Amino acid sequence: MYMSQYRDLFVSESRSHLEAFNGLIVRFENNSAPNIVHELFRHVHSLKGMAATMQFDRIAELAHKLEDLLSTIRDGGISSSQGLIDILLAGSDQLDSMITAIEKGDDIPLPGTDDLISRITGFSPDKHAVPEPENVAAQPGPPLRQYQFRQSDSFKTVRVRTETLDRMVNITGELITTHHRLADQLRNLPGAGLNEPLAQLSSQLRELRDEVFLARMLPFSVVAERLPRLVRDLSRSLGKEVALSINGGEIELDRGILEGITEPLMHILRNAVDHGMELPHMRTAAGKTRSGLITLSLARDKDHVTIVVSDDGRGMDPALLVAKAVDKGLISAGQATVMSPWEAFMLICNPGFSTADTVTGVSGRGVGMDAVKNAVRSLGGSLFIESGIGRGSSFHLKLPLTVSIIQALLVECEALTMAFPVNAVDRTLELTPSDIFEEAGQQCCTLDGNTLPLGNLHRILGQPLPASVRNHIPVIVCRIAGKAVGLIADSIVGQREIFVKPLDKPMSHLKHITGGAIMGNGSIVFIMDINTFSSLP
Amino acid sequence: MMNPTVMIVDDALFMRKIMRGILEENGYQVVAEAASGIETMRRLHDHAPDIIILDIILPDANGLDLLKSIFSVSPLSKVAICSSIGQEPIIQKALDLGAKAFILKPFTPEKIVTTLASLEG
Repeated sequence: MYMSQYRDLFVSESRSHLEAFNGLIVRFENNSAPNIVHELFRHVHSLKGMAATMQFDRIAELAHKLEDLLSTIRDGGISSSQGLIDILLAGSDQLDSMITAIEKGDDIPLPGTDDLISRITGFSPDKHAVPEPENVAAQPGPPLRQYQFRQSDSFKTVRVRTETLDRMVNITGELITTHHRLADQLRNLPGAGLNEPLAQLSSQLRELRDEVFLARMLPFSVVAERLPRLVRDLSRSLGKEVALSINGGEIELDRGILEGITEPLMHILRNAVDHGMELPHMRTAAGKTRSGLITLSLARDKDHVTIVVSDDGRGMDPALLVAKAVDKGLISAGQATVMSPWEAFMLICNPGFSTADTVTGVSGRGVGMDAVKNAVRSLGGSLFIESGIGRGSSFHLKLPLTVSIIQALLVECEALTMAFPVNAVDRTLELTPSDIFEEAGQQCCTLDGNTLPLGNLHRILGQPLPASVRNHIPVIVCRIAGKAVGLIADSIVGQREIFVKPLDKPMSHLKHITGGAIMGNGSIVFIMDINTFSSLP
Repeated sequence: MMNPTVMIVDDALFMRKIMRGILEENGYQVVAEAASGIETMRRLHDHAPDIIILDIILPDANGLDLLKSIFSVSPLSKVAICSSIGQEPIIQKALDLGAKAFILKPFTPEKIVTTLASLEG
């Protein structure tokens, strides 16, 4: 049958309608404006038409019933009520699961819809909720439909499969690698008159790279649509009142970054509702509004984006966090005394550190803050936490705009050349043997008046330690578990723009290695992820 | 004689692709697609197609309200309304406003072909 070729398109377009539908339901909960009802109607109407064309009759039927309900709401001026919202959400969930069944293959029977359909057809506003008195008094007549032309750029755009974009990034990355190889070769051929065209090639490649990355950018709002629903459902299930406000949804990020950041953000939001927010009566007692507020703000700053999730909940007490970490043996009593509040807040990102006294069904499962931190770091970003007791907490995520091409420090260690992402390195040092001393069995040096513990990159990489004493010892200063450490290497080659290629099996299992890159001379370097270390090796 | 040119107006990409498939298989030349009222008006200036297949519910406009504007730019185009709203008063209103045919969604390829054939000549 010729229709089967349209199934993928049906699934993806239905999903966009449902996501928009969900976002609108949450808005409708607080605002019964006719244009919101009309938009809800339009999305479910489109879905109905598409499903009917594909002969997915049960989807079409359910969408049709929702459409009827929405047109009753629109024409009767019925206001939003809990019962109504619940039915719309149940309808949306049911449609979603049916579309998922279709996505998985035709053989899976569509889930039943009969119960829900009778709930929808049996819905009456009087039975489910008493309207607020002022709504009864101000029964609006049938809303005036005002259709206005909006400016639209949609015909200037085309849809491109994401694989095509990924391939373009790949090819661009390889072009950059080839360029480096060419440049390396030409260094041996002085006077060949190729410097100018090579410089031109270099700047054109940079332009191409920027354009290709631009094509992969998506506005944050693509993932933001489902977040209000998450916060709403969760706070209701916990008996809390929490609103989510999103600023900067129009800011664009690389698709890969967006994909990587969605789950961590959802976790931070779940945490904020579950652990951060107080119950309404506790908030009132503390002189706060009954309803808590979570703000998610995006801002673009040169080549990175910051995402800040702030809540006005109970906040965290650094002293309590430190005490708990000592209790759990995560840090020593000595370390505890010199811990800054900033370091103390980061303790919640330690694996196994839970701030909730009881593990709830909400945040006690799935990824913890350690996974959030790792996800942010593996995207080349960083995480910073602020909190004030009684004032709430803020999670600051700083993320690069793009993934695959990064600035890296090339470091030699015996036969190996390793790449350290520049944003993971604080600075580099060159020590002489007399700078190094031992303290409690640990090699150290002094940096800015503080003691800096030193580790050996050779040991990390399983390379033999340098046999002879060297006069100049290069050190990379980076952070392991939030603390500055120095890693001793053989030499620091320099900074390079590298194109990161993910590793396939079995290399993908290598601990501490996030990817590889091909150098100008054709050799392969591995990219080290210092953040995967929990202590100085 | 040239193949008749068609413009498809529907906010669902899915519907436009299916419609295009059916039309191209049957010798029509799809010269434009539009997903909204404003896009329809912009594309009309460039194409003035023989036939316009027009959905009613669009993100920024009602297809019926759009009819008058369409004819002001492309008076010779023949419009077939294509919608899942099949109530008699709406069909009548569309015909009163100058539409030549009404295709009810969901449609079959045969229905499209016979409807468009009736528009020619």
